[in-house]
Amino acid sequence: MTDLSWLFSLASMFPLDGMDMRFMQRALVALVLLAPMTAALGVQVVHYRMAFFSDAVGHSAFAGVAVGLILGVDPHISMPLFGLAVGLVIMFMQRFSALPSDTVIGVVFSAVVAGGLAVVSRNNTVARDLQQFLYGDILTMTETDILWLLALFALFVLFQTFAFNRLLYAGTSNIIAKAHRVPVALCEYLFAALLGLVVMFSVWGVGVLLVTAMLTVPAASARNFARSAGGMFWWAMLVGTSSAVAGLSLSVQPWMGTATGATVILVACLWFLISVVAASIRNERQL
Amino acid sequence: MAADLSADTPAIVFDHVSVTRSGLNILDQVNAAVPAGSCTVLIGPNGAGKTTLLLALLGEVGYRGRITLGGGKGLRIGYVPQKLMLDRGMPFTVAEFLCMGVQKRPLWLGLSRKAKEQALALLDEVHAAHLMKRRVGTLSGGEMQRVLLALALQQKPELLVLDEPSAGVDFEGGRLFCELLDDLRKSQGFTQIMVSHDLGMVAHHATCVICLKRRVIAQGTPRDVLTGDVLQTLFGMHMGLICAEDHLHAMPNAARKDGEHHHD
Repeated sequence: MTDLSWLFSLASMFPLDGMDMRFMQRALVALVLLAPMTAALGVQVVHYRMAFFSDAVGHSAFAGVAVGLILGVDPHISMPLFGLAVGLVIMFMQRFSALPSDTVIGVVFSAVVAGGLAVVSRNNTVARDLQQFLYGDILTMTETDILWLLALFALFVLFQTFAFNRLLYAGTSNIIAKAHRVPVALCEYLFAALLGLVVMFSVWGVGVLLVTAMLTVPAASARNFARSAGGMFWWAMLVGTSSAVAGLSLSVQPWMGTATGATVILVACLWFLISVVAASIRNERQL
Repeated sequence: MAADLSADTPAIVFDHVSVTRSGLNILDQVNAAVPAGSCTVLIGPNGAGKTTLLLALLGEVGYRGRITLGGGKGLRIGYVPQKLMLDRGMPFTVAEFLCMGVQKRPLWLGLSRKAKEQALALLDEVHAAHLMKRRVGTLSGGEMQRVLLALALQQKPELLVLDEPSAGVDFEGGRLFCELLDDLRKSQGFTQIMVSHDLGMVAHHATCVICLKRRVIAQGTPRDVLTGDVLQTLFGMHMGLICAEDHLHAMPNAARKDGEHHHD
């Protein structure tokens, strides 16, 4: 396995009690890799109105584990792959069905949640993990997970470099983009695949209930702070990453003792409040 | 920039084009030709299938029959929609809007000087250079239309497709926009096909009119096509009354007492 000790020794330098422990180092590394990805993809989720899409993929986490159990595959592998498949299936159905897109997502959403619950209700060993899926647990990230996250991060950087402008074009108007020879379908499928994978890893970190928040809250704050689409990308990354680090730091304080995922989102929501005030001050000045 | 077509080769040929949706015939055996270099306008009542025909042309709607572009060679298309469904609060500048299609570097690494210069030149062409730094969401209907036109011109189109460009713009704005399109068409040599409800505009600016009501009722020059009979068939009794005499053209200055026809 690739040696990640340099990464963990870097993480151990972070000024926080308990950073000498490996699980804390892993949690910090995982969050610093996940948060910028969700934040930046969130900009596209907001632009594309795909919050419901990511919610559906997140809720398929259960079914992903269930499929893994049935097929005898490690849930760490079956879950992201299942998320990827669900993302691609929704995108395919949206493109080729006459139904409105939220109806398509609603149907797939119901199918995967029901499928997951059906398997879980038969198998008590999975039922015990239910809580982890609902609330997430970044502190249980393994080194293999970190390796996968690093690979995903590399894909993410590649995607954002080559597809950001094209996806913005397609999100602005699908018809114009197609008429102007932008490879819309390719960009959308790649985006759905990447989003599916990132959402599944986020479920591990913050849980099914908060995964959409990881995507939308930093992007919504960035929308208020930024003056351009390029600026919004950086603002979202700043809000997302700083919330993740601050959330982890706060959650492990003895006087807090809160779940890390929830604390991360609360910090991001605080950022959002500040952004609302900043935007209203700016609007007043412009009047 | 113009398609390398002989003057006789039509830019677009619609050959028995039919579109059916939920068992309803939206377009029924449409046969029409759009002359190269023309300003062809589709007119017809609501639900006549004008926008559907444009969408079929763009490949957005499935159809039976055949649509041939540029005599089979295909044409580079620039498309200007009626409006954009855009989140108005989204931070997205006009400069970014015009650079996203041409700049290789992602917008989050900033705009390249070359792309910015090109964007400004495009805006200048549509007399909207002052909009460069504005947010797309804050543009008025008329301003947005110019920016969308600039985006379409960026394609160096051989065929410019416009869906009701005068909707949501005041009379004067619509007139200026049509004059701008006339100038651009003459200087760049593209073929223009558009949907419009404004018959005055059609009479002044169109070189070819296709009257559509699920099928083609008439096509030809405005002078030949905009007759009382045709308009009555297209729009019903109400429009027919405007043209008091048979065969009197529905031109802006056609209602002269002496019946003289003056055309630009």
